[in-house]
Amino acid sequence: MARVPFLLLIEDDDAVRTALEMGLTRQGHRVVTAASGEDGLKLLREQRPDLIVLDVMLPGIDGFEVCRRIRRTDQLPIILLTARSDDIDVVVGLESGADDYVVKPVQGRVLDARIRAVMRRGEREANDSAAFGSLVIDRSAMTVTKNGEDLQLTPTELRLLLELSRRPGQALSRQQLLRLVWEHDYLGDSRLVDACVQRLRAKVEDVPSSPTLIRTVRGVGYRLDAPS
Amino acid sequence: MRDWLVGVMPSLRLRLVIVFALVALSAAVAASGIAYWLTRDAVLTRAQTAALDDFRKTLGDHAGTLPPRPTCEQLQDAAVAMSRSTQNYEVLLIDRQRDGQRCAVTSSGAFSLDDVPPKLQRAVGERRKSSGEGKGAAYHLYWQRVAQGDTPYLLSGATVIGDGPTGYMRKSLEPERDDLTSLAWSLAIATGLALIGSVLLAQAAASTVLRPVQRLGEAARRLGEGKLDTRLKVSGTDELADLSRTFNATAAALEERVADLSAREQASRRFVADMSHELRTPLTAISAVTEVLEDEQENLDPMIEPAVQLVISETRRLNDLVENLMEVTRFDAGTARLVLDNVDVADQVTACIDARAWLDAVELDAERGIIARLDPRRLDVILANLIGNALKHGGSPVRVSVRTEECPEAHAETAEPGTGKLVIEVSDNGPGIPEEVLPHVFDRFYKASASRPRSEGSGLGLSIALENAHIHGGEITARNSPEGGAVFTLELPQDPSRLAAAADEEGDDR
Repeated sequence: MARVPFLLLIEDDDAVRTALEMGLTRQGHRVVTAASGEDGLKLLREQRPDLIVLDVMLPGIDGFEVCRRIRRTDQLPIILLTARSDDIDVVVGLESGADDYVVKPVQGRVLDARIRAVMRRGEREANDSAAFGSLVIDRSAMTVTKNGEDLQLTPTELRLLLELSRRPGQALSRQQLLRLVWEHDYLGDSRLVDACVQRLRAKVEDVPSSPTLIRTVRGVGYRLDAPS
Repeated sequence: MRDWLVGVMPSLRLRLVIVFALVALSAAVAASGIAYWLTRDAVLTRAQTAALDDFRKTLGDHAGTLPPRPTCEQLQDAAVAMSRSTQNYEVLLIDRQRDGQRCAVTSSGAFSLDDVPPKLQRAVGERRKSSGEGKGAAYHLYWQRVAQGDTPYLLSGATVIGDGPTGYMRKSLEPERDDLTSLAWSLAIATGLALIGSVLLAQAAASTVLRPVQRLGEAARRLGEGKLDTRLKVSGTDELADLSRTFNATAAALEERVADLSAREQASRRFVADMSHELRTPLTAISAVTEVLEDEQENLDPMIEPAVQLVISETRRLNDLVENLMEVTRFDAGTARLVLDNVDVADQVTACIDARAWLDAVELDAERGIIARLDPRRLDVILANLIGNALKHGGSPVRVSVRTEECPEAHAETAEPGTGKLVIEVSDNGPGIPEEVLPHVFDRFYKASASRPRSEGSGLGLSIALENAHIHGGEITARNSPEGGAVFTLELPQDPSRLAAAADEEGDDR
């Protein structure tokens, strides 16, 4: 993992774009920038970055829409940059498929920490695999198959599934999951977990509305069960 | 209805009834009195005149037929003959007989000279200077009304001129009295009827006046409760309709004014909210660049290093201020939402202290295992503000204690664990808060004293902490401890889910 993270920054405000590019470059990232959603999507296809930092308020197609379009084809991590920490923005952003969000005015260090945390989620680890019903998690290949078919998971979804599968049958609180998956050391937003669980259920469960694998434990958090 | 009676009767309605009754009573009594007096006068005068005229005539007739010095028998016959008149009176005749004896005879045994008042006897007996003119001067006829027993009588007497007999007559006025009594009864009944009628009229008048008044009162009460669209239906052109119109105009003006004021307030809040939003974008750029400067600080020219340092610290201050302004506008606009999660309170407090490098300055008295359902980010904001404030103004060590209390009025139906209260106390060792400042510590931009050196705070911290407690359904109170030092007590319900049922949208599989 000596590779320099390659980021795509989509931000319409020139000053913010320049400043963030400057800051992120100094933190050791390679950064390409786009001033609009359309340009960003084009750069994504041409340059294949490792991660996207995406502003919500964009002229033309907005950040949420960009996020949804990326998710149709790609599972690369997306961090939303929102000027409004209004709850509806965060909820819509997470539902659109963002992995994490930071609120403007953002501290460069916080953004850097989030970027590195997201990047770490894709790292490979101990080579073993586990099966939960028709779901097979291959930790060495970092792949998940359901009924033999490869599932397209984002690194965050994959990491969440891995953390849950490491402790099968044991309930993990949202704060625990935030520390394990998002590396938010404290006061993480539990909606990140809820939104990611919803997305994950949509991919791994037979019937997402009545989950049999990732169960909600009321008053605690979530638990991964092998279907009996 | 009872309330209505109690409310209305002792006031306007009763007053109206009393005034109406008094007016009717005095009018009726005056009219009846005058009528009675006039009638009585007319009836008595007529009866009296008829009787006196008749007596005068018969006395004249019979006295003329009597011989001078008549015998008692002749007098008796004359008296009986006189009393046979249509006027139905008793007659007493007195004359001197030949032997000089006085003889008094009556037409009936019930009438004697004792019944004639001495005053009348004297008047009748008195010899008058005769004017000698006309027939009217032939007699001196005197009369008097007296009551003997309970019967009213007309007594009259005259002496026949030329040494004739003295005659008295007594006529009972009982029929007249009976007539007058029945008249008085009729008048009294009429007065009573007028009184009853006036009371009924007063009731009706009171109702016509009081019903609109009551409606007006009801409308005014609703207006006072803040229902500014309250209007009255105006009918008629009387004073009450006029009052209703005035009320409607006032309510309309008030509504307009309130709408105008709230629109202005909303506009100014919106302005603050928009401005903080607008400030964020340049601030994001500045912050990012500031960090670059910060990293390069040691490589900078010593001459400009302090300037860069100032830019860095002030940018951070500006950041905090805008952040707090955003937070305040969210509370003002009511868009702040709880994101509830079950957390270990001790862990949260530790994390909050740890993240701000306050571990050395804070004594924590909290057991792990106290689980509360709350918004961890908001708890962190509250704690950071309370502890930060204590460190800034009170000085270390700051003591933070966490405990739970069972609600005394715990709802029986929800008597599950977690219905209690979470109590977090933050106390410092400083000089405490002056009494006059204590009520204002949670006010926005309130600085404890003008002479106090400018603090790094935004002036919004405690206000935001309080708002964050309120949104949980909790409370923060400030007091001075007897041992010195300020104590801030945060109380939060252990499970505020009822407040934020909507915020808890987690998937719920059975």
